Amino acid sequence: MKGGKLADREEEIVLKFDRRLLFHFDWTLLGMVLGLCLIGLVNIYSTGFSTAETGADPLYLKQARWILLGLIGMTVAFSVDYRFVHRYAYWIYGIAVLALVAVLVLGYESRGSQRWLSLWGFRLQPSEFMKLAVIVTLTKYFDDHRVSAPFGLRDLRAPFLLILVPFLLILKQPDLGTALIIAILFASMAICVGVRWSALLAAAASGLLLIPFMWYFLKDYQRERIMTFLSPERDPLGSGYHIIQSIIAVGSGGFWGKGFLKGSQTQLKFLPEQQTDFVFSVFAEEWGFLGGLVLIVLFLSLILWGLKIALHSRDFPGMMITYGFILLIFWEVFINIGMVLGILPVVGIPLPFLSYGGSSIVMLMTGVGLMMNVSMRRFILQS
Amino acid sequence: MARLQNRLDEHDPGAFRQRFKILFAIVAAVLFLLVLRLWYLQIIQGYELRLKSENNSVRLRKIKPLRGLILDARGTVLVDNQPSYDILFLPNRVKNVQEVIDRLEGLYAKKDLLLSADPFPLNGKPLPFVPVKLEKNVSWEKLAIVETASLELPGVYVDVVPVRQYLAGERMAHVIGYVGEVSKEELDKDTTGLYGLGDPIGKYGIEKLLDPLVKGKYGAEQVEVNAFGKEVRVVGKIEPTSGYSVILTIDAHLQKVAWDALAGRPGSVVVMDPRDGAVLAMVSSPSFDPNLFNRGISHGKWEALSNHPLHPMENRAISGQYPPGSTYKMVVAAAALQEGIITPETAFYCGGTFELGNRTYRCWQKNGHGKISLHRALVSSCDVYFYNVGKLLGVDRLAWYAKSFGLGSGTGIDLPREKAGLIPTKAWKQSRLGEPWQAGETISISIGQGFNLVTPLQLAAAYGGLANGGTLWRPHIIRRIEAPDGSTYRVFSPEAHGKIPVSRENLDIVGHGLWGVVNEKGGTGYALKRKEEDVCGKTGTAQVVGLPDNDKARREKKISAQFQDHALFVCYAPYKNPEIVVAVIVENAGHGGSVAAPVARKVVDAYFAQKKEQNRPQVAAFQSAESSGRP
Repeated sequence: MKGGKLADREEEIVLKFDRRLLFHFDWTLLGMVLGLCLIGLVNIYSTGFSTAETGADPLYLKQARWILLGLIGMTVAFSVDYRFVHRYAYWIYGIAVLALVAVLVLGYESRGSQRWLSLWGFRLQPSEFMKLAVIVTLTKYFDDHRVSAPFGLRDLRAPFLLILVPFLLILKQPDLGTALIIAILFASMAICVGVRWSALLAAAASGLLLIPFMWYFLKDYQRERIMTFLSPERDPLGSGYHIIQSIIAVGSGGFWGKGFLKGSQTQLKFLPEQQTDFVFSVFAEEWGFLGGLVLIVLFLSLILWGLKIALHSRDFPGMMITYGFILLIFWEVFINIGMVLGILPVVGIPLPFLSYGGSSIVMLMTGVGLMMNVSMRRFILQS
Repeated sequence: MARLQNRLDEHDPGAFRQRFKILFAIVAAVLFLLVLRLWYLQIIQGYELRLKSENNSVRLRKIKPLRGLILDARGTVLVDNQPSYDILFLPNRVKNVQEVIDRLEGLYAKKDLLLSADPFPLNGKPLPFVPVKLEKNVSWEKLAIVETASLELPGVYVDVVPVRQYLAGERMAHVIGYVGEVSKEELDKDTTGLYGLGDPIGKYGIEKLLDPLVKGKYGAEQVEVNAFGKEVRVVGKIEPTSGYSVILTIDAHLQKVAWDALAGRPGSVVVMDPRDGAVLAMVSSPSFDPNLFNRGISHGKWEALSNHPLHPMENRAISGQYPPGSTYKMVVAAAALQEGIITPETAFYCGGTFELGNRTYRCWQKNGHGKISLHRALVSSCDVYFYNVGKLLGVDRLAWYAKSFGLGSGTGIDLPREKAGLIPTKAWKQSRLGEPWQAGETISISIGQGFNLVTPLQLAAAYGGLANGGTLWRPHIIRRIEAPDGSTYRVFSPEAHGKIPVSRENLDIVGHGLWGVVNEKGGTGYALKRKEEDVCGKTGTAQVVGLPDNDKARREKKISAQFQDHALFVCYAPYKNPEIVVAVIVENAGHGGSVAAPVARKVVDAYFAQKKEQNRPQVAAFQSAESSGRP
């Protein structure tokens, strides 16, 4: 089975770019993603509008540059057969973990957390790329072991350890939001492949038991955020301030919104973290319920479209990669908007395609490239 | 291939169809929940929240912290903070800024006051929600006008800014430095995230070095504001944290004495404790007023300062590089004794000149000193004696010793912008200038001329090393850093960073020579002789440029001030167990003995007078305690 012949044959499949592929290119997907990016750019332009110019490039220009870089990542990701990526999944995992270690050793610190690496003048956030690495790695692992699905607790031990390493490394930075996303990704993907009810219940129970211990490991500001979520009036200046201002911003937008560049909450800088975690409030304030609805429907379409790609993919790895990535987007959208609207606690999770952040956008575009990859090859791969 | 085929066959998407259906439903339901919430906030609560945002009820305002104090070794406050008032305008309500400015000018005019905006606030389009600074650092009169006329001036408000008050002014400007608004370059370079636009930041001296500790932390205040932009009430408040205080080793009194003694002449005085390297005074003249920078220095004043021919912004004590002149003879003597080239008895004949090749080198004493040995050669600073010794030693051996005294390299003092100076070697000249070393250059070197360059601080440290028996202490100027609550954050303990490779015996021989300079008849520093304590020292007169050999030409050229010699004097006291070392340099001022030594004398006198003053009450208290303890 492991003869050289097979390897050669796979190599051929992997590296040949069939011209027929272009015929099957997923223009709908590209359109939706570019639409979201464009909304993001317009929105970031608004957040920077009333800031006195400092001479540096405005954020929306920087973001536009990152989007271009993301398009390159996307192109690379759909040109190479995803089974090539699948085969080297553990290598990708290893590199991503090394990058996280590098962050802890020589990372760039800002505002109390150490999340960035400086590389050729770019400031990269390896934890963002870890999200993709986790999807690819779990796909590989579950592919190799899916004979034993539905999984019991014992079967999940190995992938659990695989995820625990990046989880702890990211928690150490500290970046609670990203660590949380990685844990949720693990649970979602495992459940999709199949987990026994007994194992699910056991995991849920032990998770509940662990909460007091987790509380002990949280940083002060993280505990503060959770306490604030439970009663926002506790700390009107700190994290409570964020959520109060965010709700005022969203609510004051009304049905039609206050209009582009006219959101007083945004322009007066009442709203904190406007370019990153709270971009949705900016959008909702200036574009109102109508805008918010359009945006959420756009996200919903993207997610459903992705799930359709997953369902129709030709093989298990293709399905799992697409599924994992689309769930990543789903969870980030849900947690971010939920937080902004005050129904979830404040955790630092960006809104996909809209929040400012170079690593995030490049990671997302690359992931979209993988989805396109799966989408177009489902026709070609029929033997 | 078969394996791959197997997989494809094995993959049955149908098995997942059911799961995906559930997922479709969950995703749609969850996102619908978000839409519901959005509906609730924007439609049901929309009106109420809109009012809240329009009333602009709550505004988060930063409260500026006070910078840490800077004190001298005895607790005298050298740098304090005082409030300064700015008049700001928030152009939310009133669109026309010019109209508000006109109204303000009108109110001022009633009291014969003028709006002194520099730079004028409207040099660009006013951004809708960014406050415009109308005027800064206003007087009490103007403040009163603005506060009382708040209804006529919508959107105008007063901001209190704490500013630095440098109580020691020019005297300590170089050590303490000054504070200015953070620049774009500094913001770009900042990796701590501690700085924001418009923040004050230390630009020079201690203020710069310790800025992250001294600056303090912003507080915040949540203020409810009404439609006119006036505060209604404070909803919540987090107090700012003051910066850490810095306690220097400087003695403000000695600093003042040294500054006054220089009397405005360009030069520098360094006073150091030879027992641990603590810097007691560091003066550089001419100086500048650090208070000028507090609220942004005007362009004209900045130009005047930075283009001044005497460079008042430079700290001459650590970045002024001078030929050491005859003060270098101490090093030459120690080196020659240690190398066994001379003994205290070795004598040379000085007839006023020294010949090497076809060049003649002069002694400062035209008629010569006659037959002279080490002790008298130091006392009367005989050049010919040291020409002979230098020739025997050679440049590289001499340089090795000079470097072991800490000359020609930064001392590592805790101040920014220290310069290294230069102690030349043959290899240095070959690599730097591409020329071989000339024998004649060794002759110039041995009386501290030629390529030799040292800083006043290096001289003080080197003499301190000689005085304490051979230990080189790293000069330091920060004694302690104190947290805002008064607890000690860090204490800087003295650090010995070298041992002079000269035996105690030889150091004592040189030290006795330096004693003679001040205490023996004919000594070049005889003017400094004191009754109470024996002072040891060495004069120096450093030539600025090579002067013509011909006496007449020499005299003519000296008329021009910038070609005049630098006067140097380095001394320590008392002779036994020295407590202070003083290095003085006065630029282009003539002879060390007549110009620099009197400056040092005033410092030494002040030091011992102060010591006496301190001791007296202590002794009295001790005696009274003892007497009352007896029945």
